[in-house]
Amino acid sequence: MNELKIFSIQKNIHEDNVKVANETREELNRQNAYLINVMSSPGSGKTSTLVSTIKALKGEMNIGVIEADVDSDVDARTVMNAGAKAVQMHTGGLCHLDATMARRGIDELGVEDLDLVFLENIGNLICPVGYDTGAMKNIAILSVPEGDDKPLKYPMIFAKVDALIINKIDVMEHFDFNMEVLEERVRKLNKDIKIFPISAKTGEGLSHWTDWVKTEMKRR
Amino acid sequence: MHELGIVYEVIKIVDAFAVENNLIKVDKIILEIGELSQAIPRFIESCYPAAISETAYEDTKLEIITIPATGECRSCHEVFNIIEHRKICPKCQAEDFSLISGQEFNIKEVVAY
Repeated sequence: MNELKIFSIQKNIHEDNVKVANETREELNRQNAYLINVMSSPGSGKTSTLVSTIKALKGEMNIGVIEADVDSDVDARTVMNAGAKAVQMHTGGLCHLDATMARRGIDELGVEDLDLVFLENIGNLICPVGYDTGAMKNIAILSVPEGDDKPLKYPMIFAKVDALIINKIDVMEHFDFNMEVLEERVRKLNKDIKIFPISAKTGEGLSHWTDWVKTEMKRR
Repeated sequence: MHELGIVYEVIKIVDAFAVENNLIKVDKIILEIGELSQAIPRFIESCYPAAISETAYEDTKLEIITIPATGECRSCHEVFNIIEHRKICPKCQAEDFSLISGQEFNIKEVVAY
């Protein structure tokens, strides 16, 4: 019988994911496509925010959307109707997209004729933020009805994203949502984060968000 | 619940390591999981048997070392467990700290021959 020995591995479980994500970023850069990973809880208005964004930007660029959903292709049809190229990934019981899954979506979509691609992640404030998808920017959407306490309850997502959209500001008066308190809580976790209060429904504030997207796309 | 996928990833990495280092038999896998990691040790343990079932690792044991969530106070530099002290420095009561450990998920080592 051979003697047992200890072999040190010291490998982070996410190393392979980061490798795939970096390869994706390189490939997207080669094809001149800019990928934004959109995360939020279910019902915050990811799809309607994307629809308004597509409508605002489609005259200037070609946009694609990768929809990740447990089932159904409702979202993909909606964004296609708004004027974007879209694919729907059925993710079943998964709680997040990793770089390999995101890559599959990108390959299926085909980005050669696209300038901007949104990856609509699975509705979940916890798991998606732990996985690099290969996106150039990560953003989160929080809607007014969810409450201004979410940064206290789910700090990780607010700490890590580049920008935060506060959606549904058109219903602000019906909720105890304090924008100043929210901003203070978010800045405590992430002092450089961009915050865009918008209403995907009325279009209020949308141009600040779309201007930021355009600026960041030019900057790379 | 994404632990099963994580366990498969662990087995994949260990398997690649075993092939590379000509290991005949892996007796034990030792993981380091931070208290703030997205993986919950109890769930990792409970889905581990399913992941190794009918593979070359069927008899391989699993050990999990928990790494505490520690932070360093930005005011007085006290190092403390941020879960235990609810993110408030026990020495000076400041609420601003930098995270030192707790988000790890590492495959530390394997015991093998």
